[in-house]
Amino acid sequence: EDAAEESNVSAELIAQRKRLVDEWNAWRIRCRDEGPKRKGKENGKKEEEKEEIEVWIDEVIEQIEEEVVE
Amino acid sequence: MRPILLQGHERSLTQIKFNPEGDLLFSCSKDHVINVWFTHNGERLGTYDGHNGTVWSIDVDSQSRFLVSGSADNTLRLWSVQTGKCLYKWEFPTAVKRVAFSDDDEQIVCVTEQRMGYQGAIRVFNINRDGDGSNQSKEPASFFNPIGSKAVVCAFAQSPNLLITGHESGKIAIFDAKTGEEVQNNERAHMDVVTDLQLSPDRSYFITSSKDKTARIHDTRTLMVIKTYSTETPLNSAAIAPLKPYVLLGGGQDAMSVTTTSLRQGKFETRFWHKIFEEEVGRVKGHFGPINTIAVSPRGDCYASGGEDGFVRVHHFDESYFRAKPYGDLEIED
Repeated sequence: EDAAEESNVSAELIAQRKRLVDEWNAWRIRCRDEGPKRKGKENGKKEEEKEEIEVWIDEVIEQIEEEVVE
Repeated sequence: MRPILLQGHERSLTQIKFNPEGDLLFSCSKDHVINVWFTHNGERLGTYDGHNGTVWSIDVDSQSRFLVSGSADNTLRLWSVQTGKCLYKWEFPTAVKRVAFSDDDEQIVCVTEQRMGYQGAIRVFNINRDGDGSNQSKEPASFFNPIGSKAVVCAFAQSPNLLITGHESGKIAIFDAKTGEEVQNNERAHMDVVTDLQLSPDRSYFITSSKDKTARIHDTRTLMVIKTYSTETPLNSAAIAPLKPYVLLGGGQDAMSVTTTSLRQGKFETRFWHKIFEEEVGRVKGHFGPINTIAVSPRGDCYASGGEDGFVRVHHFDESYFRAKPYGDLEIED
C-alpha cells in the first residue's frame, strides 16, 4: 500500500514489476547455482570486498567552480 | 551529486577504468596520453607516456599492479601502475582497438584492426608476473582471425579460456581462447556496431551498447538477451552499477551530425535506467559533446564519464541515491 501511494502507480503495474523482479532473481540464482565454480581463494577475496562495500564512508570533496557557457 | 571535472586531456576520451578498490581512475585519449587520477578529489596522480597515437583502450589488473594499453601506434603496452614505467611493448601490423585482463590477471586479450591486407585479429598473451614484469614473451599464447564481421570489443568470459566478443555487424560471440573456434553466437544481438562491453562483477552477465541506440544485458553462457534499453541516440558506452539496480548509458550523435541537426538532439547526458524494469529513471548533464565512455566504481559510490569534449567528469553519489527506492521495497539480486 505504501509503495502504491509513494510511486502513485496502479496495482497492475506493481504486480508487473513484482513479476519482473521475481523473474530476474530466479535467473540470478540459477546463474549462481549453474555457473562455473570459482576457486576458494577467490571466494574469500570476494567476500572481503563485499564487507568493504558496506562500510561506506562519505567524504567531503573539494568543490570546483565551473563556468557553464550557454 | 557533486561533479569533479578532470582536466588533463587535450583530445577526446576513448576509455576510462576504475581499479577494483575504486580509489584510482585510469583514462586514455586521442591525445596519446594515459592518465591516472585519485577518485576522491580528482587530483592527477600521474601519466603513462610513450604511445605515439590514439590510445584506444586500457585495463588494470585486480592488484592495481599492471596496466595494459592498446593504441593506434600499433602497439600493446604493459605498464607499472606505480612507477608509470612501460615494462613491455608488443608490436603489430595494425592498430590495437581493445584490451582486457583475465579474471586471474594471468592473461591479456587484445583486438587488432583489420586494415591494409591484414585481417582483424584476436591475440591472447600470458603475462609473466614474476620480477618487475618486464620479462614477457613476445609470442601470443593464441592468435586467431574471427571470420565474418570484425570484432571491435572483447573480454574474458566467466569460464576460463572463453572470450566474449562484440562485432561491427552487431553480432556478439563466444570464442575458445585457445583454438579460436567460435563456440556460440548471437548474430542479431544488435542491429549496428557494438561500441562497449562491460561485465557484471561475477562475469555471469554483461551489458553491451550499440550505435543502434540500444543497450542490452546478455547471459554470458547462452548469449541470450535478458534486458533491452532503447534510447533515441546512438550509444557509445554502457555500465552496470553495483549495489543498485541501475545501468548507465552514454552516447550522443557525433560532432559531424550534430551540426546538421538541432543542438537539442545532441543530448550529451548520462542516462540512468532501471536494470530490471527497462525504464529510464534519470539523466545527468554536463558534457559538451557525445559521451564516449562510462565507468562505475566497483564500490558503487561514484561513476565517471569521458567525453568527446576531452573532459572526464566524476560524480560521487549523494546519500539520497543510496536511500532511494523509486519502485518500492523489492529485493533485487545483484
